[in-house]
Amino acid sequence: MDNFPLINLENGQKGVIISIAGGFRATKRLADLGLTPDTVVEVLKKAPFSGPLLIKVRGSNLILGKGLAAKVFVRLK
Amino acid sequence: MKNGKKLKIVLAGQANVGKSVIFNYLTGLHQHIGNWPGKTVEKAEGTLFYKGYTIDVFDLPGIYALTTYSLEEIVSRDYIALQKPDFVVNVVDSTNLERNLLFTLQLLELERPVILALNMVNLLKEKGIEINTQKLQELLQIPVIPVAAIYGKGITEVVDRGIELIKSNTKETTCECKLKFGKEVEERIEQLIRVLKDVDLSYPKRWLAIKLLEKDKEIEKLVKDKEILTNVEKLTSELEEIHGHDSSVVIANERCYLASLIIKQTVKITKPAKIGLNVRLDSLTSDRILGYPVMIGILALMYLTIFTFGSWFSSFLEELTSGWQILWENIFGNSFFTSLGWSTIESALALIQIALPYIIPFYFLLFLLEDWGYLARVAYLTDNLMHKLGVHGKACIPLMLGFGCNIPGCLSCRIMETERERFLTAFLTTLIPCSAVTVIIMGLVGKFLGVGWAFGLYLFNILIILIVGKLASKILPGEPTELIMEMPDYRLPNLRTIILQTWFRLKEFIFLAGPLVVISGVVIKGIHLAGWLEATASFLSPITVKWLDLPAITGVLLIFGILRKELILVMLATLLGTTNFVSILTPVQMLTLSILSMFYIPCVATIAVLLREFGWKKTLGICIFEIFFAISLAGTVSRILPVFL
Repeated sequence: MDNFPLINLENGQKGVIISIAGGFRATKRLADLGLTPDTVVEVLKKAPFSGPLLIKVRGSNLILGKGLAAKVFVRLK
Repeated sequence: MKNGKKLKIVLAGQANVGKSVIFNYLTGLHQHIGNWPGKTVEKAEGTLFYKGYTIDVFDLPGIYALTTYSLEEIVSRDYIALQKPDFVVNVVDSTNLERNLLFTLQLLELERPVILALNMVNLLKEKGIEINTQKLQELLQIPVIPVAAIYGKGITEVVDRGIELIKSNTKETTCECKLKFGKEVEERIEQLIRVLKDVDLSYPKRWLAIKLLEKDKEIEKLVKDKEILTNVEKLTSELEEIHGHDSSVVIANERCYLASLIIKQTVKITKPAKIGLNVRLDSLTSDRILGYPVMIGILALMYLTIFTFGSWFSSFLEELTSGWQILWENIFGNSFFTSLGWSTIESALALIQIALPYIIPFYFLLFLLEDWGYLARVAYLTDNLMHKLGVHGKACIPLMLGFGCNIPGCLSCRIMETERERFLTAFLTTLIPCSAVTVIIMGLVGKFLGVGWAFGLYLFNILIILIVGKLASKILPGEPTELIMEMPDYRLPNLRTIILQTWFRLKEFIFLAGPLVVISGVVIKGIHLAGWLEATASFLSPITVKWLDLPAITGVLLIFGILRKELILVMLATLLGTTNFVSILTPVQMLTLSILSMFYIPCVATIAVLLREFGWKKTLGICIFEIFFAISLAGTVSRILPVFL
């Protein structure tokens, strides 16, 4: 199955995290907020001008900068 | 229990869980806000007198984890692990329990007695969430107390249970429990604990082992022992082989798994959440198109309120004290020393008359917007723009504040996660024209050249900030941090908390800026009285006259401008004996002076803040850079502009 960055999901689509391609710090921060492999992520909204993403993870809403969202690889659920 | 019935407790939790409401409820006016020694991390400490106990309450910064991602996290975990508070109150948002539990699990690893304050239970029903507190208590093996902090419910029970917990004096550790990671991880933790047996650090051994498996750099530095570290390396690579992820991710994943297990057994979503007013408000304020006009509207309203209130209150205070100088001179006469004496009073009055009327509503509205949840929307909407400056969306808040006054702007840079982001944001904030600079621009350019030119100057300022920000973020070492933050639900702000927060911030500001403002006021007055101003002016004339093509008198203005920016305009009128500036300055000179005022050295009160937040080296760096930058820029503009005018 194809993996692609979270940032490519459309509003309302859900993905399952496969891997995170960021540096140590970024990966750690994402994990602290509950974004670990096998977690389901839903893209609620994207800010205009390719701004950050509003996502739903483990029942809570997070704002994720596009740089980070490009490093989170998911497969479509 | 220690003698004298003294207790030390800590409030810990993620951001936006209502920690500050609980803190203010417990400590009221008995609190002190300062910095952790040597760190630009806020330390809020208060005292609670309760049932014969004197309880020191520490409000740790809102953090998402106990790793080394930010200064706050390091300070927090070191405080809990090393200062060993009697108990920790872990405040969690019950409507976001799963993510909050990730933090709770890390807290439990530190092996201090923990009480879970399950906050915002008043919102559960509306959201259709049901939590089995009894079961949660069993699984976590710590007391769980439902709390509705904004109504003051459940907070005393939390303290009561904490005191009970200490009295019963059960086992110090709370983690001899069922909360175990997967077998392959636990095996390696145990192996490491054995290896760490002789390491003499005051952190719990199991915690050290977990942190080492997470590749925590700070802990690696502490342990030092080569043999142990090679052992760690072996174990982490084994874990990585089993799971196919970095070992730090493996451990985080274990916690996530535990949290989701707990949630499965304790939380029931009974009905799909009804679309309430707050949800509608949220979709409007974060809308990709409508969000922006709404944001501009809210911010404009905020500024309007601040400036209307500020100018009213400021002129009220000025009127109140207008006769004081004559009164002083009538009593003490008008000699060198009495004039110096008056200047101390004058500087203190100026601080009260000019800064406070604007800073009070600023803080109040800022905390209101924050408590309500709006600031997160601002960060979301402006992240992209802020990236152009080399920072992320959260920086919008300090920069926004800077337009009113640079002081709260620089103080609020603490919301940025890393030292690098903090410094960069504060630096850019000092380049923002504050309300005092607005007075100059409007009084000079706006009045005599038209509002269009004044507006143009603002655009020019923003352009320069964009360029300087981009360059500075390239030059400063370290990688830029990406935005990642919670999007909180809108909720009812707590007035008491906001007023207390405003009051303590105000107090902090007065103590910080007061001395420096008064001292420099006296020094400059002394120079003035000694008749050295002309000498200064002529000393600076190669810059002011030759390079900037301004009247020599501006040298004096710039010195007074360090005290307070608007003095540049006030002194210009006083020294030249007219407010009809067009008769003494050419349009180009007005623009040059405005640009100079916009960018050159921050005012003395802002310098005081920078000093405290970043130390003297960085502060001096900012000041020197801005002096040179402003002079070069203004000089260049004064040469280019005549071509167009």
